[in-house]
Amino acid sequence: MNQPADAILSLVLLSILFSFGSSRLPSLIKAVAFQGIVVSLVPLFVGHELTAGGVIFTQVTLLIRGILIPLCIYMAIKKVRIRREVEPIVGYHASMLAGLALIVAAIAFSRKFDLPGIGQYALLLPTAIALLVAGMFLLMARRNAIAMVLGYITMENGIYLVGATFSVRAQHIVEFGILLDVLAGVMIMAVILQNIKQTLDDVDTALLRTLKE
Amino acid sequence: MVELVFIVPLVAGALAFFMLGRSGRPLLVLTGAVHLALSVYLWVKRPEALFPDYFGVTPEGLLSLIVISLLFFLISIYTQTYLARSAIQSENIFTGSMLLFLSTMTMVTLSDHIMVMWIAIEATTLASAPLIYTHRSAASLEATWKYVLICSVGIALALLGSVLITVAMDVGGVESALSFSSLTEKARGLDPTWLKVGFVFILVGYGTKMGLAPMHTWLPDAHSEAPSPASALLSGVLLNCAYLGIFKTHKIMVAAGLGGFSGMILIVFGLLSILAAATFILRQTEYKRLLAYSSIENMGIIAFGTGVGGLGAYGAILCLIHHSLIKSSLFLTSGNLLLGFGGRLISDTGNLIKEMPRTFVAFFAGFAGISGIPPFGIFIGELFIILGAFRAGHYVAVGLFLLSLCVIFGGFAHHAMRISFEESPKTVEMKESITLVWPQYGLLLTSLILCFWIPDTLYQTIIQAVTIIGGGF
Repeated sequence: MNQPADAILSLVLLSILFSFGSSRLPSLIKAVAFQGIVVSLVPLFVGHELTAGGVIFTQVTLLIRGILIPLCIYMAIKKVRIRREVEPIVGYHASMLAGLALIVAAIAFSRKFDLPGIGQYALLLPTAIALLVAGMFLLMARRNAIAMVLGYITMENGIYLVGATFSVRAQHIVEFGILLDVLAGVMIMAVILQNIKQTLDDVDTALLRTLKE
Repeated sequence: MVELVFIVPLVAGALAFFMLGRSGRPLLVLTGAVHLALSVYLWVKRPEALFPDYFGVTPEGLLSLIVISLLFFLISIYTQTYLARSAIQSENIFTGSMLLFLSTMTMVTLSDHIMVMWIAIEATTLASAPLIYTHRSAASLEATWKYVLICSVGIALALLGSVLITVAMDVGGVESALSFSSLTEKARGLDPTWLKVGFVFILVGYGTKMGLAPMHTWLPDAHSEAPSPASALLSGVLLNCAYLGIFKTHKIMVAAGLGGFSGMILIVFGLLSILAAATFILRQTEYKRLLAYSSIENMGIIAFGTGVGGLGAYGAILCLIHHSLIKSSLFLTSGNLLLGFGGRLISDTGNLIKEMPRTFVAFFAGFAGISGIPPFGIFIGELFIILGAFRAGHYVAVGLFLLSLCVIFGGFAHHAMRISFEESPKTVEMKESITLVWPQYGLLLTSLILCFWIPDTLYQTIIQAVTIIGGGF
């Protein structure tokens, strides 16, 4: 743990635990926003030389991942005023425990890989894996449509971490395109969330069960 | 020049959002015509792209592009009358999204860069989401939500897969551009383990979008809730775009000597999809969902054929082309049924042969074509796939394949007979104007002609597309 990168990556791991345990949506959004900010800072501390373009791109990523995307979701829930909490499929305490188990498993699992260039960052691969699985967990364990979107964003953060650190080749223009896609996707989801609330008067996805087979 | 093909509909789509009332309708046909002209130009000249790092003209891309272009042009003609007859709110969003959808799908067919391919495929999801929500009902909202969430999560996995392929480059110490063509050339140097993991993620990711079981759950909902012209595009060409991503990655795998691994996975997912379609098609009560399950079946057949390789891969491409032509015509016809009978249930319809004779011709010919009745193209494609699978020794798989096809044929035929000949609950007073049936006739005739006569340039392009994965005779 003598690398600054590992120190900030441990913050990401904490944000996962926090997001698993928060029953209120605003705090869940804050956890994911914090996660987005920290994840976009990671490339500054990891490995390869920084170019001017790289620094600018990091700032753009920070703006979109850490601020714009959470803001979209926040605006959506503000507009629709969701008061009632939807009971999750997996409870919050059980989720916390699962989160801890997930982090341990991710660290144990990532020891099996020996990747060139990132060997000295002990937490990089575990964090990426933990984010991916955490996102899928939120998608499956929550019935609240907003929590599901946040799960998707967590997953995207994990993939960003894999991409930003492993492939030095990815050109910024391409990365930017990916980022725009994610942003547009979240915006569309936010619009759908608003409509779900207006049409069904709730965001419980258990109500979305009319279409079958 | 190459990039112009997707920039034109992009600009037109952006414009269409600001065109109020019906003024966007002519733009749809106009853009379709220009797009078709540009695609034919690309086919004949095969020029270099302005940004060769990101875009390129490939044989498999051209095949998809020309199908997209032809379909969109005919569908845009149909849409004119469809829009006039059905009450659609905010038409500008509908036309704008249709054009953006065309643009993003074109971008998929022309992209050569792994990440640009991903960006384009995700963009197709985003551009088509408003189309599914056109009717503004609770059911269409649910379908849109499922579509956007399931496809976005699925495609996110494909992004992970694409990133893992770059890891395979790093670990294998390969210096290469991130394009499919260059990676296929240098595939031997890529690290096989990471490449395999990457392929699995890409297959699951793009497979979600392609409608392969068990990730297909969004597909019947989205196809049944979208207005018929949009369903025709979704089923006819969007699924092909996702397939293109899988096909190109499979090419890298075969070039890396891992074709056995990726082929086996394709066969398994293909069979699963065909079996899933066979299970669900029997008890469908809505005709559009029936068509959607048939799309899942056909995507399964195509994945199966690609996995088999050899003659099967050639058959898969034939099925791909004919499925697009026939299925989109069937979805347009389902629009006529909806306009005429006013309900989406199969029990709402009946006696089509008397009530809507012109639509009946399109419907029944489409049914015969899609079920693989000889001598239609799907039959020839399936025959090649079966022969290819026998040659490769997949006897059990072929058994399951044939069994499911029989079940699906039985189920589909049962419903098709009900719609065509049995008592109708009501009389139809809709006028079948030329633009409501001729686009379907055009699509079906194209398919029919291609059964008997494949132009040499088309044949050569198919062969070029499949030689790398060991396809051909």
